[in-house]
Amino acid sequence: MASIAFNNVTKRFSETVAVNNVSFEIADSEFFCLFGPPLSGKSTILKLILGLEKPDEGEILIDGKPVNHVSPARRNVAMVFQNLALFPHMSAEQNVRFPLAERRMAESEIASRVAEVSGKLHIGHILHKSPAQLSGGERQRVAIARALVRDPVAYLMDDPISALDARLREETRVELKRIQNELGRTMVYVTHDQEEAMSVADRIAVLEAGSIRQIGAPSDIYDNPNSSYVAGMLGAPAMNLLALDAGNSSALDGALALDQAHVPQGASQIGIRPEDLIVTPAAASDETRVRVFEVEPLGGVTVVTLQTGETSLRAMVRGQPKIEPDSEVSLSVAAGQACFFASNGEALRA
Amino acid sequence: MTAIHLENLSKSFGSFTALKDMNLEIADGEFVALLGPSGCGKSTTMNMISGLLDPSEGSIRFGDRDMRGVPMGKRGVGFVFQNYAIFTHMSVYDNLAYGLKATGVARSERDRRVKDMAEFLHLTPMLNKPSAGLSVNILQRLAIGRSAIMEPAIFLLDEPLSNVDAAFRAVMRTELKHLQRQFRQTMVYVTHDQLEAMTMADRIAVMDHGKLLQVGTPIDVYNNPSNVFVAGFLGSPGMNLLPGRTIAAPAGLCADLGSFGISAPLPVAGLSEDRAIVYGFRPEHCELTSGEGIRLPVTFVERIGARTILHMGNKETSLRGVFDNDVPVRTGENVTLSIDPANIRLFDAKTGDALTEAR
Repeated sequence: MASIAFNNVTKRFSETVAVNNVSFEIADSEFFCLFGPPLSGKSTILKLILGLEKPDEGEILIDGKPVNHVSPARRNVAMVFQNLALFPHMSAEQNVRFPLAERRMAESEIASRVAEVSGKLHIGHILHKSPAQLSGGERQRVAIARALVRDPVAYLMDDPISALDARLREETRVELKRIQNELGRTMVYVTHDQEEAMSVADRIAVLEAGSIRQIGAPSDIYDNPNSSYVAGMLGAPAMNLLALDAGNSSALDGALALDQAHVPQGASQIGIRPEDLIVTPAAASDETRVRVFEVEPLGGVTVVTLQTGETSLRAMVRGQPKIEPDSEVSLSVAAGQACFFASNGEALRA
Repeated sequence: MTAIHLENLSKSFGSFTALKDMNLEIADGEFVALLGPSGCGKSTTMNMISGLLDPSEGSIRFGDRDMRGVPMGKRGVGFVFQNYAIFTHMSVYDNLAYGLKATGVARSERDRRVKDMAEFLHLTPMLNKPSAGLSVNILQRLAIGRSAIMEPAIFLLDEPLSNVDAAFRAVMRTELKHLQRQFRQTMVYVTHDQLEAMTMADRIAVMDHGKLLQVGTPIDVYNNPSNVFVAGFLGSPGMNLLPGRTIAAPAGLCADLGSFGISAPLPVAGLSEDRAIVYGFRPEHCELTSGEGIRLPVTFVERIGARTILHMGNKETSLRGVFDNDVPVRTGENVTLSIDPANIRLFDAKTGDALTEAR
């Protein structure tokens, strides 16, 4: 059980600043997610927690104690890597036992710990199999079991399910959340998949180029992004970010009418989630028509890509509406469901 | 432009049957997705179309030309694979121009086509850059461009988006579909991702264990799956499938769903009593009700932005419902679901085949 804190931590690799003056506090038993595009610093933060990298500046605390100079082995945090790194020539059980056998733990103690962790991860029935005989999800669980069997104070996962196919990812992320809930350990989890981040995390830290741009509960960040960058990172399809027309009463060269009273002073961009963009067939008399570029039926919802001039935007419509590519539609915004940003990208409140 | 006819196509590797008796007609200019989990036979089918593999039995025709014995290079097909094969020592321009040059297309014509394709795929700003330094996303886009520029009559794509990141994948889906609507090649697209198949294809061919299970438009296959595998494979999450038995009730024949209760009257006529069935409905087709319905505990609430997925049920049977993001339900609560009978799909418990007729 452990809390983890970063105080103004910076890490450089020669010229590159991989982690730039980062501060956060992860509570004991929290599921904390580091989310950002490639090279935004999320994996480096994991390595700093693990002790595989040393900070150039700042302090790292585990359970309130500075660990800058504590070796990885003595930090007792466990890591599950992206490629899982199971030993292919060993059975699942031998893989799980490995960290304990390595420490010359008594056989009876090993057996009881393996049994306990196998029960929690529902892998008792597959322990005799070799990694090659296991499905992707099963291998995942075995790798987690191997990390947990040492009884670490916290465990870290670096994009652990990105190699699985889409269906298995959806199932495994729920499973991971359940496991973490039951184990009640601190979890630091790295992903570049926004849906996965929102699904599993108690709180998400959104990173950009080595800096944390926002930390908060998934729904907070989704509903109230503090910048256009964060707004664009969450949601699939992502939030539409459109320049406001002069006078702030419309966007898309008049094709999207807005209530000027709701546009805050200094706003230069409006952000609209695809599910809040309302698409209606355009009447012939309507002067503010927008062309439908592509229609993607997903079954339960339909994604409509619209194009006007150089701008393309997406709407997500419930069900299976009859909208054809190359037809023309009118757009409006669901009441009260828009974000506004200043020219520097900062969110503005009305 | 060419139609593809697959007739009684089979492929075995030793005693292993990778594909069994596949029949599929792909129309000229059609976009067909071969969809299924790994090992379903989709790539084997693709490899036989391309000429990489010879069929064990059956035939492949392009238009009225039998492809037996025709080598890969003479089939007039373009390929894009999961692992883009880009000449990294060449510029983006030279990669795009490569095939045209090799086939002796005149310089002015070549230049025009390269520039058009670059414009179409948003590669113009990097045309003169070396391809070695490009991101995975851009490389895959370039790989598509390099094949498409040859304007092949048949365009084969094998999981071309599985290595690119999620956000870019969404962009590429739209672009690929648009590309195909512009050029109207016959397109065969292999994927395990139902989302890609749903969003891009004119028709989807769902495969499992070497067998073609169902062919139809995305919406048709989604709304009226022919069996439980297809029902569960399409959708995110897939269709809920509950084991049950038909039971006579005053209102008509219903499904006894065990610990979840008794369903509303079933929408299919002519079923006998006490028949083992699978009761299916899509996660977006259930609503919370304070009235009658199936009752079950919520095991996990997954709030993911625009929607919330409620995971419900018990150890044996789990189901999922898709709701608005602000649905006021917590883990551990019991909920009652009502489902419009029009949205119920029934399957035979033994064969897995649909008992519901298309409506």
